[in-house]
Amino acid sequence: MKLQFPAEAEAVRAEFSAWLDANTPSVAEATVRPRSTADSPPWARRFQCAMFDAGWLLPGQPPEFGGRNASLLEQFVIEEELMRRRVYHSFNPQGLSIIAPSILMFGTPQQKATWAVPVLRGEKTAALGMSEPGAGSDLAGLRTRAVADGEGYVVNGQKVWTSGAHDSDFILAFVRTDPDVPKHKGISALIIPTATPGVTCRPFGSICSKDDHDFNEVFFDDAFVPAENLVGNLNNGWHVATGTLGEERAMLWLSNYERLDDVINNFGARVRGTELADDPLTQDWYGRLLVDAMALRLLGYQSVAKTASGHDPAEQSILKLFGSEAAHEATNRALETLGPLALDHTIDSAPYNHMNLDQFSASWFDRYCRSFAVTIAGGTSEIQRNIIAERILGLPR
Amino acid sequence: MELELDDDQRTLQETVRGIIAKECTPAFVRAVIEDGLDPSPWWDTMVGLYWPALAIAEDVGGLGMTWIELAILLEELGHAVDPSPYLATTTQFVPIVRRCGDAAQAARWLGGVAAGGITGALALGEHTVRATADDGGWRLDGSVAYVVDADRADEIAVVATAHDGVGVYVVERASAGAALTIDPIPVFDHTTHIAGLSLEGVVVSGDRRLGGSDLAEGIAVAVEEATLGWSVVTVGACQRILELVVDHVKQRHQFGVPIGSFQAVKHKAVDMYVAIQRARAIAQYAALTFVEDDPRRSIAVSMAKVAAGDCQEVVLRNGVQLFGGMGFTWENDLHIALRRAKLCVTMFGSTIEHRRRVARDALLGEGAA
Ligand SMILES: Cc1cc2nc3c(=O)[nH]c(=O)nc-3n(C[C@H](O)[C@H](O)[C@H](O)COP(=O)(O)OP(=O)(O)OC[C@H]3O[C@@H](n4cnc5c(N)ncnc54)[C@H](O)[C@@H]3O)c2cc1C
Repeated sequence: MKLQFPAEAEAVRAEFSAWLDANTPSVAEATVRPRSTADSPPWARRFQCAMFDAGWLLPGQPPEFGGRNASLLEQFVIEEELMRRRVYHSFNPQGLSIIAPSILMFGTPQQKATWAVPVLRGEKTAALGMSEPGAGSDLAGLRTRAVADGEGYVVNGQKVWTSGAHDSDFILAFVRTDPDVPKHKGISALIIPTATPGVTCRPFGSICSKDDHDFNEVFFDDAFVPAENLVGNLNNGWHVATGTLGEERAMLWLSNYERLDDVINNFGARVRGTELADDPLTQDWYGRLLVDAMALRLLGYQSVAKTASGHDPAEQSILKLFGSEAAHEATNRALETLGPLALDHTIDSAPYNHMNLDQFSASWFDRYCRSFAVTIAGGTSEIQRNIIAERILGLPR
Repeated sequence: MELELDDDQRTLQETVRGIIAKECTPAFVRAVIEDGLDPSPWWDTMVGLYWPALAIAEDVGGLGMTWIELAILLEELGHAVDPSPYLATTTQFVPIVRRCGDAAQAARWLGGVAAGGITGALALGEHTVRATADDGGWRLDGSVAYVVDADRADEIAVVATAHDGVGVYVVERASAGAALTIDPIPVFDHTTHIAGLSLEGVVVSGDRRLGGSDLAEGIAVAVEEATLGWSVVTVGACQRILELVVDHVKQRHQFGVPIGSFQAVKHKAVDMYVAIQRARAIAQYAALTFVEDDPRRSIAVSMAKVAAGDCQEVVLRNGVQLFGGMGFTWENDLHIALRRAKLCVTMFGSTIEHRRRVARDALLGEGAA
């Protein structure tokens, strides 16, 4: 055991750090802000493409996919350095971290070139079409139908919560291709361009604001999708979906750590020198927060090592559950402790950081609300508990 | 960061588990509690295995391993609810001698623990015991409450204040005579010995005053080691309870199904599991800060005590609950581990004190305040 990373990994971090120093866009360049998770402003697209070209974007991939064949540990220190600087390498996170990697894992060479690489180079953005009105936690119950028709599929049905769909170029959608087999076995993954006739994206407001348009309802009315857009084998979509969720969870703990660290820093800066810093009840929850953040980091590091040695990805459920609930607890406590000081909803709770999402420096109320995104999206806390109970503790289903 | 046990450490863990499963069985611990069986043969077994020597330096006859290995052992001893004097000897007496003694004293007492199984205790009497020079030696007067193993340790390191400041005096219990009164406290954890100590003119020779430099720092760090010891033991006791509970809910049926298939049961068990993971990770981190002499050590120790304290709260509450009526019986081993875990949080600073210390360090920059 050691508290330090190996010298090889630190050397990679230093190299990346120097690259970021030289290549991170300036405040003046970054004035246009993203409005959804699939709206990447031109300056952000250029930066993402520079990261791709330099092999820093998905470091574990080969150079043609924006990487440098980095080891897991090297990938991790690179992610960690981005996190430490609060630099978003993509303002289309689901495209970069879920959709493109899924296409690289399951797609044809042509799909990689047409869809994955442009997402990685910041030329296209993508949305993830999994959930439906009738299929949330029970994703396998999805009903959007795709029926083979000549050279492709005709899609009918509806998705919901599809983050950024209205700003995206395409949706990686999970659809039912065989209604007559057990539900996991009749699902396929399709790339559906949002410009396809019959596809309608209708954005709607979130808990944070009427005008916070990231959520979408997406309707498919006889939308025709060419057969070449089928990702993976027909009826093998469950495999693609669980691969996708695996990727999603593997990167989540760092962003939860970031949220905890934000509260530590921003709340700390807000109360230092005031009587709240000396208040026993404040100290009690703030002390817990410091311990939670440290524990998440330690467990996260351990999981990187375990993933490298091929452990059950159920380990990721622990990080997701613990990290998201700790972040919720912390944002709630900060809001309540600040009392009337937290009332002003337009106020920033942290210094402006042009490379970060504005929402993370928004009001304490905003941060509190957004903490629910993580306890719900990507498998709720309850679903994570089910997974841990069954896969790790071995309790009966 | 490399936070995985290496192969040697894993082997040590397996070996220790195997030996404890044979030698310090639940039946043995129960006999100590119910029949007053003397646990010393188990201590002798440990001495024979060089377990007390584990983290003592090689130049004084120890095995020269680190806090990581010590923590592996302590967690397993917590799991077994070890009734021996191991904890106080290795995480209280040994650290104070190592950090405050000179070379000859280290050879004498650390060597004694390593080779001969000398047992030791630590009495923190900085504010309650006075030391006065007495004919080349020292005379100790005062009292210390709640000293672990004071009633059975061979040597008691007493922290006391003299005209020239704080010092540490090693008292041999058997030879102190009537000047030393030891009042064992009937604690709820029947396998941990805790006693009050009163010293009325206890005389120790000059070579029994620890002669190292920077005693205040040495004492502070020794207390941190002791604090970490309690935290690691808590994790072990909690892990035991989780195992008992998981076994139980798999085999106990109600409504025609194992109760472990009920989601309310599953989720409680998962919360226990997560709390243990959190506490173990931080305890290992704190152990590493000792190994690497990392400046975050002192706060890391408080964090470990906090995480252990939080952990036992969840594990005990859910653990008893998931056993139903069986959780309320004397027959169930659960309460034996529960007592140990609860005892740990009462010692060396409450969870709230340590949590506030962690926060004050960050908010007020008070360091070790
Ligand atoms: C901010 C945000 C962004 C999102 N982005 C996307 C996206 O881009 N693409 C996409 O496809 N989806 C997205 N989602 C949807 C998300 O994946 C679902 O909301 C989530 O899977 C839960 O499904 P649901 O909303 O239907 O809730 P439900 O499944 O109806 O759950 C409601 C409650 O019931 C509980 N529950 C359900 N089943 C069980 C069970 N078996 N055991 C115990 N409790 C249970 C849940 O834990 C929850 O508390 C997003 C969600 C949020 C909040």
